[in-house]
Amino acid sequence: MMSLFNLNPLTIKKINRFKSIRRGYYSFIIFTLLVLLSCFAEVLVNSRALLVSYEGNLYFPSYGSIIPGRTLGLGYDYETNYRDLQKKLKDSGSGFVIMPIIPYNPYENDLNDSSFPPFPPSFEDSHYLGTDTIGRDVAARLVYGFRTAIFFSLILLVVSYLIGVSIGAAMGYYGGLFDLLFQRIIEIWSNIPFLYVIMIISSIMIPNFFMLIVIVLLFGWIQMTWYMRTVTYKEKAREYVMAAKALGASNSRIIFNHILPNTVSIIITFIPFSIANGIIALTSLDYLGFGLPPPTPSWGELLSQGSNNLESLWIVSSVIVAMTLILVMVTFMGEAIREAFDPKKHTTYE
Amino acid sequence: MTLLKVEDLKMHFPVYGGVLYRQVATVFAVDGVSFSVEAGKTMGLVGESGCGKSTIGRALLRLYEPTSGRVSFEDKDITHLKGRKLRDLRSDMQMIFQDPFESLNPRHTIGDILQEPYIIHHQGKPAERRQEVLKLLDRVGMPADSIHKYPHEFSGGQRQRIGIARAIALKPKLIICDEPVSALDVSIQSQILNLLIELQQEMGMAYMFIAHDLSVIKHVSDQIAVMYLGRIVEIADSETLYANPQHPYTRALISSIPEPDPRKRKNFTALKGEVPSPMNPPSHCHFVDRCPYSQPLCSEKTPLLTVKGTNENHRVACHFALN
Repeated sequence: MMSLFNLNPLTIKKINRFKSIRRGYYSFIIFTLLVLLSCFAEVLVNSRALLVSYEGNLYFPSYGSIIPGRTLGLGYDYETNYRDLQKKLKDSGSGFVIMPIIPYNPYENDLNDSSFPPFPPSFEDSHYLGTDTIGRDVAARLVYGFRTAIFFSLILLVVSYLIGVSIGAAMGYYGGLFDLLFQRIIEIWSNIPFLYVIMIISSIMIPNFFMLIVIVLLFGWIQMTWYMRTVTYKEKAREYVMAAKALGASNSRIIFNHILPNTVSIIITFIPFSIANGIIALTSLDYLGFGLPPPTPSWGELLSQGSNNLESLWIVSSVIVAMTLILVMVTFMGEAIREAFDPKKHTTYE
Repeated sequence: MTLLKVEDLKMHFPVYGGVLYRQVATVFAVDGVSFSVEAGKTMGLVGESGCGKSTIGRALLRLYEPTSGRVSFEDKDITHLKGRKLRDLRSDMQMIFQDPFESLNPRHTIGDILQEPYIIHHQGKPAERRQEVLKLLDRVGMPADSIHKYPHEFSGGQRQRIGIARAIALKPKLIICDEPVSALDVSIQSQILNLLIELQQEMGMAYMFIAHDLSVIKHVSDQIAVMYLGRIVEIADSETLYANPQHPYTRALISSIPEPDPRKRKNFTALKGEVPSPMNPPSHCHFVDRCPYSQPLCSEKTPLLTVKGTNENHRVACHFALN
């Protein structure tokens, strides 16, 4: 297994080539940053303050249990409304509150007395992208929706590749009856209409995050299996595998030590496109209403709200812009990786 | 002492096709071959592409399962060995491959590649293995720092040296050399051949040397078998074979060796026609369509490998040999 992670000079060459494809490399950096930042969304987008200084005491409410209003000199026992606290402390001068960049969480309804939501973007209220039809901040929902979508995609990717790579490699390596059997199973399985299955399942129960992954996984492992089967067939016929057999290497040694390291570049090439597919799958399921249950923040749900309220253009345009940006970045990454790992450029045969 | 004995070895590959994926034809890659290899000697196997010589090599090592026949190694039947016994056999029998660009895993360092035999056969501790690898590299004339390099950093000749080092790592008794020099430049070929000869003198192993080129095989072999379309047509000591070829195919092969001295150049007898498909070989004598001396008898009775002259080690499969 070591050789999977050892950096071969060829791999270094590929990585350098990837870096030289600017738009792909920058997309990769920005995208990775966005994913990392979304892990800390609670300190960037939240109704809880980053830091409260009240009567000489410091509070960090971002993580942990709620701080009741009474602790901070407000007359109630439920969670402190930090935006109000900020105004109050500013007036009284007995402390200060530092709020995150977007001082709303994705679930709260920010209503006011004079009109009905959706409210257009307003810097005064810190609703930078406006609110949706029930007064929730669009920017906050975009950020948390991104986090849900990207982790959905990544988990889906890892699990579907694990399944696809192992079944595909086994099909390609052992061939024969096992291969034939799985080919037919996959052909039959991939003819089951995915959307009907989703509709039937979500009419019986409301799917949660992990159930949704399992459902998408039921159909998502097939693609990688096909590719792995083909490349394993190809690698298996090469002479270095024959040489390993002649030495007496076991099947598992040949698969893990010889064939898999030689297929890694093909697997890597597909990763960005699988991420994009995962995001699209979750968004479209949410859009159709078969995805995550409300009020989970999701892009699909925002998109469907936006398209039903086209007069509030800020909703739909925010999601579309965000989605386009992410998918374009992922595609740039994918292109650059494919270009950098192109076997015709770095042939291992020479 | 006879190290390896092959009796009536057959290797047929089924060809599948059609909607129902039925067997529609058979490739008769090796069709009844018998010979033996003496310990410490070199058996040359020569024939043109597609005649089944590499298939024999692979069937002997049990990389392919022989269709029928019997292979015995040191008087033990190895035709149907399995599991542990098969693995043990492999430390006694190794292979050098034709294409040094393909036979080394591009993702492994030379150190990984040369340690693998010891790892598979559970020999030595990591530090000892490293020492062994350094010795091997030295033995085949490669610098010690190659251990951290990857195959693509070397030339064809160097890679073939690494392939040889891997084959001798377990000190086998027999090495099957599957056209070990045919992918190399002529100037490198002789270096590699000399290395193989030196190693044989030092370690006393037997070679089965497969080649398509009689001039290469002449250099190394004690005994030579000429193959045509899955069968051995002539087998003899190497001097006898060159001095007195009896099968018309052998004669054609020998006459095609380029002669550097223009005064000695003979008339080159080119064979007419193409090699028939091994899926559909001529019945009985396989050479009948291309033989300048063919007679009706050749299509009626299969010629067997028999002694025709005075030398009992010289056998030929032709009804009209010596004529």
